[in-house]
Amino acid sequence: MTRRPSAQEMLPRPVRAVVIGVLSLFVIVPIAYLLLLSVTPDAEAGKQLVPSHFAWGNYFSMWGTVNLLSGLLNSVIVAGLASFIAVVLAVGGGYVITRYTFLGRRSYLYSLIGLQTIPQVMLLLPLFVVYSSVQTALHIHFIGSYPGLILTYLTFALPLATWLMVAYLRDIPAGLEEAALTDGATRLTALRRVVAPLAVPGMVVALVFSFLVGWNDVLFASVLTNNGTRTVAVQLQVFEQAQQGGALPLYGQLMGAAVVSALPVVLLYMFFQRYLIGGLAAGATKA
Amino acid sequence: MPAPTAPAPAGKAERSRQGPLGDRARSQRHRTRPGQAPGGRPLWLMWPGQLCLLVIIAVPLAVGVYISLLDLNQYSLRTWVSAPFVALQNYTEALFGGNILGTSALQSLLVSIGFSVLTTILITPIGILAALSVHSSFRGRGLVRTLYLVPYTMPIFVTALLGRMAFLNGGLVNQGLHALHITSGGTYWLVGPKSFWALVAVDTWSSWSFVYIMILGGLQLIPTDLYEAAELDGAGYWQKLARITFPQMRQILALALLISTLNHFNNFTLPFVMFGTPPPSAADVLPLNIWVTSFQLFRFGLGAAMSIITLVLMLIPGYVYFRAVRLGTTEVKA
Repeated sequence: MTRRPSAQEMLPRPVRAVVIGVLSLFVIVPIAYLLLLSVTPDAEAGKQLVPSHFAWGNYFSMWGTVNLLSGLLNSVIVAGLASFIAVVLAVGGGYVITRYTFLGRRSYLYSLIGLQTIPQVMLLLPLFVVYSSVQTALHIHFIGSYPGLILTYLTFALPLATWLMVAYLRDIPAGLEEAALTDGATRLTALRRVVAPLAVPGMVVALVFSFLVGWNDVLFASVLTNNGTRTVAVQLQVFEQAQQGGALPLYGQLMGAAVVSALPVVLLYMFFQRYLIGGLAAGATKA
Repeated sequence: MPAPTAPAPAGKAERSRQGPLGDRARSQRHRTRPGQAPGGRPLWLMWPGQLCLLVIIAVPLAVGVYISLLDLNQYSLRTWVSAPFVALQNYTEALFGGNILGTSALQSLLVSIGFSVLTTILITPIGILAALSVHSSFRGRGLVRTLYLVPYTMPIFVTALLGRMAFLNGGLVNQGLHALHITSGGTYWLVGPKSFWALVAVDTWSSWSFVYIMILGGLQLIPTDLYEAAELDGAGYWQKLARITFPQMRQILALALLISTLNHFNNFTLPFVMFGTPPPSAADVLPLNIWVTSFQLFRFGLGAAMSIITLVLMLIPGYVYFRAVRLGTTEVKA
């Protein structure tokens, strides 16, 4: 009799080993190349694979050449504020949706999904036109300012954040708030003092996903920022464009800056991956 | 690192069986019926969010439809409401004319469709195999799972920069192909017709993880006793896959493929950062073409018309997705 495979095993062991080996290489080789490029002297990056020496100095000089600090700061401010507001609004919305019944409640939830399927590129131009009309009408500086970008990212983060909060708040028993309400607290106080503290883990996940909307965006930031408010994504893109056709493209420093702007995001995901796997599957089917 | 091997949060399976609003919400509804609720119904808590969605998504959507019927450029932008009305002229130009950079919207559409379909076909088997390979536990599984996540977690603009470097004339790809004696190592990947393949390759690398995550999440929802029963009946690996895993996964796989097709089609960042503007026409996907038409050629009307065409096309998979989500939630409640 042959040994029966364990119930959970999906692939024969040799096949599994080959799959893991090949896929690991598939992931590791480009990442290793990225790290190698970031310590390759600018004169050699993109020309030869093995650098003549490790140019650790890339990680110091890039701050000046790429204007990295301003990009990172802008990204933190814009993505940070947008995600914070998005989560606050999502908690309020999610609370109402899970605790009350009202006309259009279900359609509102489903319209959030519908909104997510709209291609963002098709909204960019009309949004630009709307913003420039606001600018002309109110005589304020809106395109290129923080508030314009924050408002945009917060809106695009809102559907997912709301769905995450609905899923989380639903599992918090209403009995706790009712106790507070009986003691004379208002609904809002009950939400702030009783529900919100219990929902912190869900809020953190929603915050992370919302933050990444702003951090990773290039499309809106490419049009809605100026020299002073460029997020790091656009900062790198603009810098890279400037290198093309230059006598000595500063690719080593560029890739150093790329590593620095990717690292916080990759670490965030690693930290929250238990919510990602499964959460995304449940979230994506349901959100 | 907080236990990367930790299973999905408990209650997840139960939650997804409940549907988005769950049964508990319904029972609470009785308790908080108007008149009984001591604190009233603070529906206004939803208004700020709804206002944002209205101003940032719904209004621009309507404005976009209107602009697509105008001859609008950078000069008439300030007074866009009174720009000359040209009816469907932008649409005919988008579909049949070519822009001065040589790529018409129709051509871009074909590039986009080819790109989305091809990458989706490529990432599906990779994602499925990856999920199957780390479903059962073994030493080092947490590490492999973390590794598999990396391409998904990389910001696309970083992946695009890396892709650009790798496909430069003296980059990793040419050097590698040369070392393996496949090519002479002097291929131009970032200009001309081969740019399409460079784009497909980089996008495949960056997006297979998504299929992997979805499938792995789906695998965790399949009851273990199904496999145990199959094992008692003497089923082998192949039979378990063909008779249990794939039939159980059909819905989530379809959803994963649908979402990733949408994502590929709407991917602006990757080609934009990888090729710059104007891009080679073989890699001039529709989102990029719209951006160039709008913000480099300043043909706002034409750009809007191309956007509306994109939206109409996206309505088809979008509707299917929407239906799938609705079906998913009503089915589980029944």
